[in-house]
Amino acid sequence: MFGKYKRLWKKSRLKSSYDAVIIGGGLHGISTAYFLAKNYGMTDVAILEKRYIGFGGAGRNTAIVRANQRTKENLRLYDEGLKLWPKLMQELDFNMLFFNCGNLNLAHSEAGMSALRLQVASAQFHGIQSELVNAKQCKELVPVLDISDRLAFPIFGGMYHPPGGTLRPESVLWGIAKGASQKGVQIHQETEVKSLEIKNNKVVSVKTGDGKKIHTPRVLNAAGGYSALIANMAGIRLPVDVLPIQAMVSQPLKPFLDHVVSSGVYHAYANQSLKGEVVTGSHMDPWPGYTTQVTARYIKHQAEALTELMPCLRGVKFMRTWGGLADMTPDMAPIIDGNHPIDGFYIDCGWGYFGFKSAPVTGKYMAKFMATGKCPEILKPFTMKRFAQHRLSGETASPVNYGPWN
Amino acid sequence: MNRLTHLPTLRIQPSKALSLTYNKKRLTGVEGDSVATALYANGIRIFSRSVKYHRPRGLYSLDGESSNCFMAVDGVPNTRTCTTLLKDGMTVNPQNVIGTPEHDWLFFLDYFGWAMPAGFYHRHFHRPYVLWPTFRKWIRKAAGFGNVSKNWEGGIYDELHLNTDVTVIGGGPAGMSAALAAANQGLRIVLIEGRPWLGGFFEYSPEPYTLDIPRYERARELAREIEKHPNIRWFCHTYLMGLYGNHQITAFQKGGEKDYFDERYIEVRSQSVVVATGCIERPLIFEHNERPGVMQVGCAHRLARTYGLLPGTKAVFSVGHDQGLEAALDLHQLGLKIPAVADIRFDGQNPDLVDRLNKSEIRYMRGWVAGKVYGHHQTSKITLRSTEGTREESYDCDVVVASAGHTPVSGPLIMAQAKLRFDLHTGFFLPHRLPGNVHPAGRLWGLTDPHAIECSGMMAGLKAAADCGAADDNRLKDLKEKLKELPGPERGTKLAISPGKPGKQFVCFDEDVTVKNIYQACDMGFDVPELNKRFTAAGTGPGQWGIPGHNLPLVISKYHADSTIPPMPTTIRPPMAPTLMATYAGKRHNIFKRTPAHEWQEKAHAIFRRVGVWKRARYFSKDYSCKTEIETVHQAVGIIDVSTLGKFRLFGPDALKALQRVYIGDMSTVKKGRVKYSAMCNDDGCLIDDGVVTLTAENDYYFTTSTGRAGTTVEWIRYHTRYDGWNFHLVNLTDAYGAINLAGPKARKVLSELTDDDLSNEAFPFTGYREMTLAGKIPARVMRLGFVGELSFEMHVSSSMTGYLWKCLMEAGKPFGIRPFGLEAQNVLRMQKGHVIIGQESEIRTTLHDLGMGGLWYKKPESKTVGAVALKQTKHQKDRLKLVGFKMVEPSDPKRAPKDGSIIVNDTIRGHVCTARYSFILNEAIGLALVEDKYAGIGTQLEIFEDGSDHQRLHAQVVKPPFYDIEGHRIRM
Amino acid sequence: MSLTITCPICGKRNGYEFRYGGQDKGPRPEEDGLTPEKWAEYVHLNENTGGIQKEWWFHRSGCGLWFTILRDTQTNQEIK
Repeated sequence: MFGKYKRLWKKSRLKSSYDAVIIGGGLHGISTAYFLAKNYGMTDVAILEKRYIGFGGAGRNTAIVRANQRTKENLRLYDEGLKLWPKLMQELDFNMLFFNCGNLNLAHSEAGMSALRLQVASAQFHGIQSELVNAKQCKELVPVLDISDRLAFPIFGGMYHPPGGTLRPESVLWGIAKGASQKGVQIHQETEVKSLEIKNNKVVSVKTGDGKKIHTPRVLNAAGGYSALIANMAGIRLPVDVLPIQAMVSQPLKPFLDHVVSSGVYHAYANQSLKGEVVTGSHMDPWPGYTTQVTARYIKHQAEALTELMPCLRGVKFMRTWGGLADMTPDMAPIIDGNHPIDGFYIDCGWGYFGFKSAPVTGKYMAKFMATGKCPEILKPFTMKRFAQHRLSGETASPVNYGPWN
Repeated sequence: MNRLTHLPTLRIQPSKALSLTYNKKRLTGVEGDSVATALYANGIRIFSRSVKYHRPRGLYSLDGESSNCFMAVDGVPNTRTCTTLLKDGMTVNPQNVIGTPEHDWLFFLDYFGWAMPAGFYHRHFHRPYVLWPTFRKWIRKAAGFGNVSKNWEGGIYDELHLNTDVTVIGGGPAGMSAALAAANQGLRIVLIEGRPWLGGFFEYSPEPYTLDIPRYERARELAREIEKHPNIRWFCHTYLMGLYGNHQITAFQKGGEKDYFDERYIEVRSQSVVVATGCIERPLIFEHNERPGVMQVGCAHRLARTYGLLPGTKAVFSVGHDQGLEAALDLHQLGLKIPAVADIRFDGQNPDLVDRLNKSEIRYMRGWVAGKVYGHHQTSKITLRSTEGTREESYDCDVVVASAGHTPVSGPLIMAQAKLRFDLHTGFFLPHRLPGNVHPAGRLWGLTDPHAIECSGMMAGLKAAADCGAADDNRLKDLKEKLKELPGPERGTKLAISPGKPGKQFVCFDEDVTVKNIYQACDMGFDVPELNKRFTAAGTGPGQWGIPGHNLPLVISKYHADSTIPPMPTTIRPPMAPTLMATYAGKRHNIFKRTPAHEWQEKAHAIFRRVGVWKRARYFSKDYSCKTEIETVHQAVGIIDVSTLGKFRLFGPDALKALQRVYIGDMSTVKKGRVKYSAMCNDDGCLIDDGVVTLTAENDYYFTTSTGRAGTTVEWIRYHTRYDGWNFHLVNLTDAYGAINLAGPKARKVLSELTDDDLSNEAFPFTGYREMTLAGKIPARVMRLGFVGELSFEMHVSSSMTGYLWKCLMEAGKPFGIRPFGLEAQNVLRMQKGHVIIGQESEIRTTLHDLGMGGLWYKKPESKTVGAVALKQTKHQKDRLKLVGFKMVEPSDPKRAPKDGSIIVNDTIRGHVCTARYSFILNEAIGLALVEDKYAGIGTQLEIFEDGSDHQRLHAQVVKPPFYDIEGHRIRM
Repeated sequence: MSLTITCPICGKRNGYEFRYGGQDKGPRPEEDGLTPEKWAEYVHLNENTGGIQKEWWFHRSGCGLWFTILRDTQTNQEIK
């Protein structure tokens, strides 16, 4: 009934040249490879991953998806991205455990409600389901919320966005990896890129950790938290700070939390996975680094925040916490460039903690970018040039407090 | 069930009965019992059902490594009953069953194991997609262990934050020896132990320590020394949660009968850490290796020795280490029938133990191992097989004591970023690269000899002492020599799986993962432990590493059948023991600041809101339009507490240079007796702060910032001058001064009641600054400002005087109709004047030019002013969002303001409403909005889209702010 | 991971007492002739060193001093 247990992605020998080399076996890299093969027939593609696929953010994020962003540039992209999940599950014949349970963002002040209204109005204008709800409605959606004024920041109301939800992050990666591999894309794990060769301002080859030279006219830097290090190989500095971010899960429980709940004021969000774990994330260590070791501080903070918002969680146990890297830009919008400043060198990074929900759809357009050499309209707002032009993205209203200074 | 009541190792009080309710039945345990042992004593054998297949599960270990013993205890789901001390009156309920653990209606799922191969939910249920939501609902219901108690209150959760020299993790012989060695060097020690008492694996063992002292006696001897040592703080029943960088640990302690807390969060920072966590057992993998009745050596042994309970009547042992043989001998002595002891090893046993086994007429079988357990719900028979699988023998029994070997509790080392490597001799993952000041000791290294363990502990203690500058090199050298002469690490068995069918051989109990599942995942490409773990979920359950941690890499290694690939362990993550959020959270943490005029506003029925760290008055009545408050300011006089404003003194020879660096205006024009309004931008030219500056003496400035910037202004100014070596001092006076603003046409009259100084417009004009004494004794800095658009005096006085000043002003203002007003009234008043609030009218992409405040910028390249470059480069830039004023026009209701956050649209989004209100004084709805510059021209018609408006649009027209008192006469009255 | 930082005035303290101020990029550039690209390089672009980096820290819950330390970004340890 269940057939053979075939490898999801094939093993293959590393060749000496490819049409395109993708650095980073994460969601963005693998998605781009998949769409290169599927939409543009470009199958001579190698994904080079230093560790194993999904080692980075792809396997460490909390897999929340939504399309209720603040700016219209982002709304378009994330809306299409959100609609892609069911299609992908069918197309790839892989269950990514999409749970469109809806997201509830809480507001704790009049100003907080106004900020949400901007997002709700923008979403509704674009035909995306989203609505403002009052505190009582919040409680109807999530009965375990405390809407009394015992909270330090009582709940005023929220933004309810029904089409959003969660997936299982690794399964998305595995599914797309399977699809890419079936179409001929090669996935090479434990293959580190050590240097890039650039001649006459054009990418020529990459060199791997064991000294192999791979010729290619196109390289995509999709190394997530490590993409600044790859960019440095091409002599490019990125407007990025790499910060460790932590997430944690509780022990598995029977269903009691039917939506993703988040609160910016409390720096906390939580949802219950299909397995029953309460999955929750916190904010970042406020200094850059490449260690994914966790700290005692955030799990405690998280418990303080969550038990205040949902007092019954006091009787729930944390089971595991882990860290990952977030490549944060000064305006919380990504960096997408190609053939600038180096021909054949493409960059898809700076997603911070939006890397998961954006991955397949960005991969789709990144593939177009790489296949045609021209940046699709939808990705144009994300060029790195915006910083020199003083045109930051408006995804966040107030200056971010990470990075060297703000 | 009868207890063995006269053992010297008992930790129970057999005479003191405690009652508990299990599954609605009243049962009795005794003091000292864990919940699990009390249930066991009452004949309960099936403790739970597994999560996927609903297989019966029983007591397997007594240290909480698996979810087998999970129950809901006093409302807390997923409680490890084997490590929870029984308290009188406890309510215990099984979970995840329909029926009871003995008769679970979901038992049939066990017959469908073939339908649930590794990662099966990724391969099914999504076709056709319309059925997926139904399947998903079913999966959700099936998953999870216990139910959350919606109204659970819990008890008292304490917090302890300690600093010490050395932290010792583990209160066994190695840990206690380490603690004593380091404490004797004069250092302060914190020692934590998971079990409710010290002693570790000595604690229940009757084997000799020396000829005349059994190990349990030695354990008690060491414990007494620890307990009376003045330098050692020891915490029992305390579980390590995390070991972090810089030798910080977190742990939680369970409160006992005599403690005032239920659980206590403990955080310790130290110079050095000794990790003496010892070993747990490596589960033996065979068919039905988790059937109730199958248990680990330590479990069986401690049931008898600690709790006085023989695990059953007839037990077959299948072990791979001498400790298993010791247990068999002892349990036999205590009355357990043992027909056979299978030992995986062909050689290497302690010959004395083998001799004693033979003398006890226990059949001892070298090179044999458990093959399959029979019994529907509980063990009734076992088939032993020779390790090569050629021979078989079966025995009837109700208990199988099984253990493949030991496995070090190396979680703390992994958390501390030690690198582990597979060691061929012990079969352990041993550290080969350790972070500084972290010292593993004892059984972790594979040591089993009691003296070697203690010696290793003492050495670790001395090394830790050396980290703290209290080295004793000679003694350390002696110990090193001594350890060399003692028996080294025991050779460990490498056997991963006993011969048999892989289908019901469980590697991970929590997630129901079998050897077959592991292989399936390997076939699919998940052939490294970390990937396999994620795909099969082995080791991601509540017990984490405990059951599958050591075996998973061994099984995968076996799959590869390639000895050149060493097995690699998976990562262990905190918390090591599942920890209640209540424990992490501790007491409630609602920390906020009150202004010095807080009580006076409270008396005036203020409705407060949290604003950053502060509580501030937002309204003074339930009329949220604030009509009365606003009208009072326009017509009479209002009073508002603005104490949260940032207040600073900047002085010294280079003070002006520092101001020029951060303020966008020309600060050389700041003079005495006047305030200058100016702004700070960030390097992007984005407005981040505004306020007023005045000169109070030569090179001595006083300035204000917005509330939000009060906390960061010092670091901001020092940051941007950090390379310059300028000589200035900066003092944050925010908390030292309170501030009260008096606004309205009668403000002057009110203030005149408190001073004889000339307050006339000529003597004290708009933007004037005066220092005066109010009410005869309050020294005040008074300035004429105009944020709310009426005549206004802002008074900065020392915090201790602020409440008094408020009172004086209220009394003086009474005849003039004074009323307090809050933040919302202020918000409307300032909006009428077109004044911006940062963050409300600005975004991070909004420059000073975009706000129409470019006039504040003065070019002074020599000052390298923060933001000046961006302001220069964006001055004439097109396609930006600009701040505009607007009023509502026909066909919309001109008196109905759109809600804040509504968007401005035509074919696409063009901007948004920042603040809009109905203005009582203008009798029209007005507002401020950020719109694309194409739509920012005066007179442009705007369409506004409100949420929930069903695409009905509101209509507005761009007008030039300010809306009220355009010439500004009223602030200059 | 928890970090400790040695403040020149207050000594070795918990890292959360401090505010990170970015890699050391040198003094502010002269405004004259500063192109938008050069400006962006100074303000926004980082090396993101994977290894030892000289960087600025501010002792927020302490003496209020900005100072530089060397830190290994791979291990998150201060280098003496």
